[in-house]
Amino acid sequence: MNLEKVVFGFFVVLAATLNFGFFLGDIDNPALHNPYELFAAVVVNLIATVLKFGDRTQIGAVHLATSLVADLQLIGAALVFGYAEYVSTAGMNPSWTASVVSLSGGALLANIVSIVLLVVETVSFHRG
Amino acid sequence: MGNPLLAFWENLFRRDDDQRRIRRDTFRVAATSAAQASATIFLILRRMRAPLIVLIVIFSVSVLGLTVIPGEDAEGRPWDMGFFDAFYVMSYTATTIGFGEIPYPFTYNQRMWVTISIYLTVVGWAYAIGSLLALFQDRAFRSALALQHFSRKVARLREPFLLIAGYGRTGELLAHSFDRLGRRFVVLDLSDERIDGLELASYRADVPGLAADARDPGHLAVAGLGHTCCEAVVALTDDEEANLAIVMAAALLRPELPVIARVTSRTIAERMQAFGSPSTVNAFDRFGDHLRLALRAPSSFQLLTWLESGPGAEVPSRGLPPRSGRWIVCGYGRLGREVTADLRAEGMDVTVIEDRPVDVDGADLLVGDGSDPWVMAQADLDQAVGLVAGTDNDTTNLSLVAAARRSNPSLFLAARQNRPDNAPLFAAMEVDALLVPTEVVAHEVYAQLSTPLLWRFLRDMPALGDAWARELVDRLTGVCGTHLQELWKVRLTPQEAPALDGWLASGTAQLGTLLRNPDDRDDSLHLVTLLVLRGGEATLAPGDDFVLRPGDELLLAGWPAARRALAMILVVDGVLEYVVTGRRVPSSWIWRRLRPAAEANG
Repeated sequence: MNLEKVVFGFFVVLAATLNFGFFLGDIDNPALHNPYELFAAVVVNLIATVLKFGDRTQIGAVHLATSLVADLQLIGAALVFGYAEYVSTAGMNPSWTASVVSLSGGALLANIVSIVLLVVETVSFHRG
Repeated sequence: MGNPLLAFWENLFRRDDDQRRIRRDTFRVAATSAAQASATIFLILRRMRAPLIVLIVIFSVSVLGLTVIPGEDAEGRPWDMGFFDAFYVMSYTATTIGFGEIPYPFTYNQRMWVTISIYLTVVGWAYAIGSLLALFQDRAFRSALALQHFSRKVARLREPFLLIAGYGRTGELLAHSFDRLGRRFVVLDLSDERIDGLELASYRADVPGLAADARDPGHLAVAGLGHTCCEAVVALTDDEEANLAIVMAAALLRPELPVIARVTSRTIAERMQAFGSPSTVNAFDRFGDHLRLALRAPSSFQLLTWLESGPGAEVPSRGLPPRSGRWIVCGYGRLGREVTADLRAEGMDVTVIEDRPVDVDGADLLVGDGSDPWVMAQADLDQAVGLVAGTDNDTTNLSLVAAARRSNPSLFLAARQNRPDNAPLFAAMEVDALLVPTEVVAHEVYAQLSTPLLWRFLRDMPALGDAWARELVDRLTGVCGTHLQELWKVRLTPQEAPALDGWLASGTAQLGTLLRNPDDRDDSLHLVTLLVLRGGEATLAPGDDFVLRPGDELLLAGWPAARRALAMILVVDGVLEYVVTGRRVPSSWIWRRLRPAAEANG
């Protein structure tokens, strides 16, 4: 067992699960989407991205690309969240909530691709 | 009429298989080298993982703490800090900017947490920034960056360039001569200092330089061996094996490129000949040849050294070496061997002084240290006509020359200078012939590469004899003065000399008629025609009545103004008409329309 692989898999999967947890629930109901969960998703996604730095293989490059997409989407969601809370006069109404959740939904897709890559890598390793 | 677009297309895509293979090979070699560079960058990224993760974790823990700890607003009501406020506070705190307690004064709970986070985050930042700076200082990282920068610069070159491997004294001399000609070059050298020196050398053009081992074909490929604009490779390192490796790489990857290598031993020269036909330059061999030429034809030698020195060189004085008598050669190393053989081939007696018994192949041998006065006395300097101080020690050579001159002031003195720093001493000594191996090699390579016509001229010139050479030197000094001006080539093709087309075909195109001043045709241009090449046949220093034909190539020496004037004659129709016939022809379209009418009326 390789400790580096454990840590890598842990963060990739945790990033996806946190993201999924935030995404789950009615898209326009702010009560069902916890900001702490979004914060945790952003942080874990950033860590997963840094862990993917410096891998020269083709699959490593795609891994990094999906992570960067997820970061972009989640940070976008966090910015929209902040704008709705502090700047917008309407506050966190259903339409803002829908924007935030849909952005995090995009990130979830990228995270799922990441997990698929992880699984593919593992399976092909066992066969080879 | 052929379709020009079609022709362009053909030019663009018509490449035979051979060329394609070569391009693929060199590309592959260059790619390996580039991959090495990017591997270093991946390693650097990998090393940044830990500091970045530490920073992210510290930051997120601090931000999370601030949002969780209960606070109060200005009126003392309970208030929880949002993520945005927390992130804002931590950002300016962590970077030690410190705007204070925003938006409301903190409670003691919050202050305790912020105190802890200040220490945590500052440590995190310091760790991350420190690691980043350490990486930028990293030698491997810097050389990887330099390699990438260099290969980008070389790939962007769009004019013919020369690949110089080895930038020692010889490379520097050659580079300066080429720079004066306005030619581009790329430099490879093992030493960082020499490559740094490139920036201080004040070249006119930007010179891409890389500190790398030229024995590695990957580095050669990155330096432009596979580049379509690379016109020649010059191997000038002071390591024979490295030069051989460069010749091998060039011959195998780009067989059609001319290669010139510096050698000091015949064995290596022969090993190089196994790879295509590289041109090898052996400084000691060339010095021996030059000495022979100087003995036989002093004026030819004078012309040769002058033209080889490049633009701006002063005319060397014409030495008068003794044509018969006994010579003394001190030091029987690589130089002594060559010189002794050459002198004996010219029918001279030679006495060799060497401090160990060697086989001198029939010449007189005196075993002993040449700088020892007692040994010198035995050599009978009074009876000798010339002395060659050819050891590899400058101090010994200088003292030999000084001692020899004291005992016989009329001796012809030849000395070898090994270190460039000693140049002023040898200049003050005023020896009759000075060998500086680095300069000999640089001049020779320059002559071979600057224009192929000059090389042809220098090879054919000695056969024409001393009197002819003396006359040409007089003509050159008459036209150019004591400093060599420009040396250039003109090709009389429809592309380069469009105005001459009809006139050349008429068969009455005399050289003397062409080289006239376009402002006043009674003056001839201030230039000398050194050589006319037609097909494979060369005519050296043709007279004014020489008849030119289309396709001739001319090698000319003269003033820059004459070069510009000649360029105008070759391109502008009216100027040629005036120079040949004396009639002024209007150059604008309207005046040409009006002119025939005016002539008819007048």
